[in-house]
Amino acid sequence: MNGASENKVPWICAKCQKELVEEKVKVRYLDGNFEVELLKCPQCNHVFISEDLALGKMLEVEKGLEDK
Amino acid sequence: MDLEKLLDIGNQCIHSEPPVCVASCPVHMDVIALVSEIEKGDFKNAYKLMDSKIPFARLIGKICDHPCETRCVRKDAGGSIHINELEKAIIHFGYSSPKKTLLLPKQKGKVAVIGGGVSGIVVAALLDKKGYHVTIFEKSDRLGGRLWDYEGEILDKETIKEELQMIEKIGIQINYNVEVLEDDLPGYMDQFDAVYLGAGHWEKGHPIDFDTFKVDDLPLFIGGQIVNKNPSIIFSVSTGKRAAISIDRYIGKISISASREREGSYESLLNYKVVDVEPVDPVVKESDIYSEEECIKEAERCLKCQCNECIKTCSHMQKYNITPDAYIRKINHNERVILGTHFANEMINSCTECGLCKEQCPVGIGMKDIIHETRESMVARGKMPPSVHEFALRDMEFSNSDSFSLVRKQPSKEQSKQFFYYPVMAFSQYLRGLYKGSGKTGYLFYPGCQLSATHSSYIGEIYKHIVGTIKENEADLDVGLYLGCCGAPADWAGRQDGMNDTVAKIKSVWEEMDKPTFILACSSCSSTFAKYLPMIQTISLWEIFDKYGLPEVDIKKGKRLLNIHDACATRHDTKIHESIRNIVKTLGYKIEELEYSKDKTKCCGYGGLVSYANKEQAKSFQEDRIQESPNDLLVYCAMCKDSLVRDNKRTFHILDVLYGKEDNNVILQQMPTLSQKLNNRKKLKADLLKEIWGEEQTMDASNKYNFVLNISKDVYDIMEKRYILVNDIEKIIDHSRKNNERFYNPETSNYLARLKLENVTYWVQYEEKGNEIDVNNVYSHRMEVVEE
Ligand code: SF4
Ligand code: SF4
Ligand code: SF4
Ligand SMILES: [Zn+2]
Repeated sequence: MNGASENKVPWICAKCQKELVEEKVKVRYLDGNFEVELLKCPQCNHVFISEDLALGKMLEVEKGLEDK
Repeated sequence: MDLEKLLDIGNQCIHSEPPVCVASCPVHMDVIALVSEIEKGDFKNAYKLMDSKIPFARLIGKICDHPCETRCVRKDAGGSIHINELEKAIIHFGYSSPKKTLLLPKQKGKVAVIGGGVSGIVVAALLDKKGYHVTIFEKSDRLGGRLWDYEGEILDKETIKEELQMIEKIGIQINYNVEVLEDDLPGYMDQFDAVYLGAGHWEKGHPIDFDTFKVDDLPLFIGGQIVNKNPSIIFSVSTGKRAAISIDRYIGKISISASREREGSYESLLNYKVVDVEPVDPVVKESDIYSEEECIKEAERCLKCQCNECIKTCSHMQKYNITPDAYIRKINHNERVILGTHFANEMINSCTECGLCKEQCPVGIGMKDIIHETRESMVARGKMPPSVHEFALRDMEFSNSDSFSLVRKQPSKEQSKQFFYYPVMAFSQYLRGLYKGSGKTGYLFYPGCQLSATHSSYIGEIYKHIVGTIKENEADLDVGLYLGCCGAPADWAGRQDGMNDTVAKIKSVWEEMDKPTFILACSSCSSTFAKYLPMIQTISLWEIFDKYGLPEVDIKKGKRLLNIHDACATRHDTKIHESIRNIVKTLGYKIEELEYSKDKTKCCGYGGLVSYANKEQAKSFQEDRIQESPNDLLVYCAMCKDSLVRDNKRTFHILDVLYGKEDNNVILQQMPTLSQKLNNRKKLKADLLKEIWGEEQTMDASNKYNFVLNISKDVYDIMEKRYILVNDIEKIIDHSRKNNERFYNPETSNYLARLKLENVTYWVQYEEKGNEIDVNNVYSHRMEVVEE
């Protein structure tokens, strides 16, 4: 799963007013643990997940893990 | 789950049973495959199929005495398929001379074939192919025996010769003019590994095993006319083929009797019915054989007999293009996977558990119970995908929480005494009912969660009506009210734990109330009660209406035609079927029964929680049912209405026609959103408490937030599709505003906020306009981000 295809997004962190940066982030679901490049606020670490990612690649991986 | 037992059930499915033509054919010519090739116009392939079943197909195919045709079920619908004529045409259009094959060394053993007639040359050719050294002993000076009887009529000399020459060409040794007598047999048996006797006629009788054609413990095998005792050519071919199998096994020293069932003609278990088949006459040939076009037309008459009784009525099996026998094998596999992907999960969760297949099946196979047990097993093994049924289970939890659940006895006489004065009493049957209050709850009205969500405005009216009518007839029995969910979603989801809790709760209410009869208004409640709470006596609301009278309605006779869609959960409940029809007729409608109704009804697509597991699958059920019905539909289950109502399809719930003015009322053709269904239930509880029991409920004020949401139709559609509720959106926005935990897009001034609620992380994109908030998008995922 790679979330970094969208490294230019118009979103900034509302709290810190920082532009988002791409970084390795841990995600998990059921028995699956992954490290993926995602956009996040460099200051408060708030991670951004786009609609495309959530309903595309992420959903696919979720379904795959659910059928394991 | 007992997988062995399951596989046994699968083996009873006769989907793979051959048609009678194939079973009665002594060599089991695959007639369906043959006609299918003809329909494609591929006569070459058709010939190959023939050739694979009959040695010397080019000759035998023309003179076969076709016992298949006498049995073909088409005989009662126009006339048997002219299989033999088709075979002749296949030879004519599809034969091509065989490719030269290498002569292989014949090292497997030596076989003597006595008699070069039909069965003899068949045995010789087959064993030669298998690598035996074969010698034919023929008493005349030519091979072919009875083949020559057809010379000049059906077969021409050149072709016979050409085919018979092949025998010599492939290296079979032929000794002509050798007459073998009974006394010579021992000598042959000494000299050869096995002897086949196919002399057509033989004085001395030998004890032949009719499964293997072997004689005692001798290396002697007998076939052809000696065994058949009839002149059938194809029987001679068949016994020859079967004797060749025995000889091969005998010399190869493997059991010659193992799995020899169903060789030769046998009875198929398939009992294909042609009562509904339109008769079509056989195609008459214009010249002495069928032309290609005539073949195709005749082939099209073939019914391709096969048991598809369940599949033809089930959108689910059609979608997965699967038959119950194969389905069961997939379940078996899915249940056994330990490491790896469970590929059948989605399919198993896409059956509506409607039970129609069992009604259709001539041998009584039903997928409903099998699927159900499989889902329970998946849950028990922790293999049920958690996302599939979560929304429905959450909804059920809501219905059984304080937000909706409610149990009340009929308001007591004491409690209502302020209403008991003259003009009011005279006009209200309900008040007269209250006046007769006995304190003993004889009935408990249980409208169910879905009807309460979609038809909440009727529930109070119904309650009052049945208090009035029941008390008039059974004065000592009061009518109480019980709001909740029967547990059907847990049952469908295979959650035994959730089911047991729900059932226990209902049972304890029933006992506390001194065992009243439940009045049910939902088809799923009916079947859940029957399955899990058999000790509780139930009656449907429709029977109460039918028995004690309908609510005051304006009945205009001569109204239009309705198709009734019976709920699949009530398949066997004839009392419900009857009372619904009585009510509809009393209201002045005409009924046109659908082909699939009552015990054969089809599912609306909601059953088995399929709409949560597989929207596309639910849709195919809905469409199937809608297209079956040319008129407006009448349903009596809230979920059926939800599934079957469409922009261009008017579907009425029976309550719509009882209480509403169904004509041109668009509102009746719109269903509430998921969020509305939730709120409707909350509100229903509060309204009923207030109106009937005079209790004020401290509402958990839904406007506790300092903002109001604007949600467009488009966004609502997205929310419905993604199962996201207004309540959740409010929580997320509130949380993001309080903590300023959100992203901001300076270009569009939109915020994007996320919050994890239980197992799901929701994202909401919104724009603030003072205290009004426009919701612009919502989505969710289950994967968890570990933020550190
Ligand atoms: S209709 Fe076709 S498949 Fe059925 S018995 Fe006749 S030939 Fe066979
Ligand atoms: S129970 Fe209904 S949906 Fe399931 S396989 Fe049978 S007919 Fe099809
Ligand atoms: S109805 Fe279906 S399950 Fe029953 S025998 Fe036929 S194909 Fe098999
Ligand atoms: Zn930040």
